[in-house]
Amino acid sequence: MNPSFAVVSYYEPWWIQILKAVVIFAIILQLQPILIVGERKLLGRFQGRYGPNRVGPYGLATPLADVIKLATKEQFRPDTSIGWMFALAPIISVVAAIGALSIIPFGDTQDIFGTQVGLYGLDVSIGPLFVFAMGAVAFYGIMLGGFSSGSKYSFLGAMRAAAQLISYEVSQGLALVGVVMTAGTLSLTEIVHAQQGMWYVIPQFLGFLIFLVASFAETNRAPFDLVEADAEIVGGYFTEYGGTRFTSYLFAEYINMCVVSLIMVTVFFGGWLLPFGINPPGWLDPFIVLGKTSVFLVFFIWIRATLPRVRYDQLMSFGWKVLLPLATLNTLVTAIVLVATD
Amino acid sequence: MAEVLFFLTAIATLGGAVGVIALRNPFYSVLALVVHLISLAMLFLLLRAEFVAAAQVIVYAGAVMVLYVFVVSYVGGSEEPIGVGPSRGFRVASVAFGGALFLVLAIAILGSGLKAIDSQGAPYVSGFGSPGAIGKLLLTDFLLPFEVASFLLLVAAVGAVTLARRRGGLETPGELATYSALDFLRPAGTGTMAEGVGGRRRLPAATPESGTEDARA
Repeated sequence: MNPSFAVVSYYEPWWIQILKAVVIFAIILQLQPILIVGERKLLGRFQGRYGPNRVGPYGLATPLADVIKLATKEQFRPDTSIGWMFALAPIISVVAAIGALSIIPFGDTQDIFGTQVGLYGLDVSIGPLFVFAMGAVAFYGIMLGGFSSGSKYSFLGAMRAAAQLISYEVSQGLALVGVVMTAGTLSLTEIVHAQQGMWYVIPQFLGFLIFLVASFAETNRAPFDLVEADAEIVGGYFTEYGGTRFTSYLFAEYINMCVVSLIMVTVFFGGWLLPFGINPPGWLDPFIVLGKTSVFLVFFIWIRATLPRVRYDQLMSFGWKVLLPLATLNTLVTAIVLVATD
Repeated sequence: MAEVLFFLTAIATLGGAVGVIALRNPFYSVLALVVHLISLAMLFLLLRAEFVAAAQVIVYAGAVMVLYVFVVSYVGGSEEPIGVGPSRGFRVASVAFGGALFLVLAIAILGSGLKAIDSQGAPYVSGFGSPGAIGKLLLTDFLLPFEVASFLLLVAAVGAVTLARRRGGLETPGELATYSALDFLRPAGTGTMAEGVGGRRRLPAATPESGTEDARA
């Protein structure tokens, strides 16, 4: 096995990088309509109704109709809003969400027509830290959107986002420390390679659970969708948004869901590796990763249909008093076990 | 390419720094500081210090500035500047001190010889700036400063909790009121939020009445 690009600080030629960026972006963007219609269909089934079934066969063209509807809407903003910030905020959200995609590994380094191509945007030596940095930038998309709207509900939603994001990012980061210590590297492809024998979900099960729960809060999904709790604050930070700007927020949320699922697959579920010694050809790698990811995406939707929204103080005390101590304990125990068995 | 990126980020860095002190609206000041910190992270990236760049964005833009934005958007998001401007003497003194600080820094930078500007600068060693290399340095050469800094942060955290408790509102019903010797040494009218809204009060032992009040609030 060749050393991974992160270890040798090797970067591919610029035209490969651009090609890869376009391909990854296009594939993930095409996933979003499927995800949206899948969510609505599944939610319908969970609630004993049909879900969308009017546009196209089985209602599969519904997201297409949605996008046309949203894109042709009038651009508007409230009188009290701050114009440039109002327009900038959704862009920040989308950019941060797509930026995090660039380090997700979809497969090993492949020999395509004699050129060595890694099936990922970049293999950086900081790995998950890059995703957390993008999460930090994404916060400003939500915060500025809520603040610049000039509306109380938007502002409350943005404030909730601020508190929720910093509370849960800590636990999310600490949950990954155990994996990083076991693998001895931060590079995501190296972490996948280190899972040849056993997926990290088995030795790091507690870390996986913490990461999973914190991910729901990070992506503002039910039961932690206090940021956009429609029963309390209308729509949270995007109350005043409509048309394509609203679509941007929507896409950012769903892409974030994909990113978090992809990270979980990469870090805890062996990325493109299959269990029981099955060794498929290299071109199947991305399909394996996307297949595993879709399981998590369905799980996200399932949880949304199952659990009621928690109260705000419950959310906060759960994050600080349960998740964070557990994550710290997980890190400590992992460190002790590693040193003892080394 | 690197040169273009360097000048773009350098302009953004300096612009952000100037914006922090020049903008009247505190919310925009904080946003300028965010721009400054993120551009600084990009400069670190150009120096191949990936870990430092990520840490810069996560810790400063992602955690510290979030709190700043939180507070400023609650209390100071209005168009009017907070409070009255500084007096004339204060301004003169601030310019004098600022100039003195600039002089000290200029002497220090010039004293370093600025060797890297004319020549190629220090060579890049593979692995420099990687998380592993930084971790090794922190646990060998810089162990003492590292531990002292972490102890300082621990003290700050304990202090924050103590201050928050003294202001009341955090005690759960049925919890015993705690008194500190400092409560008796402290002059009346300083500090607690309870005093701010109505005279000096000791931390109340939780009564059924206050419990229902909490529930209503």
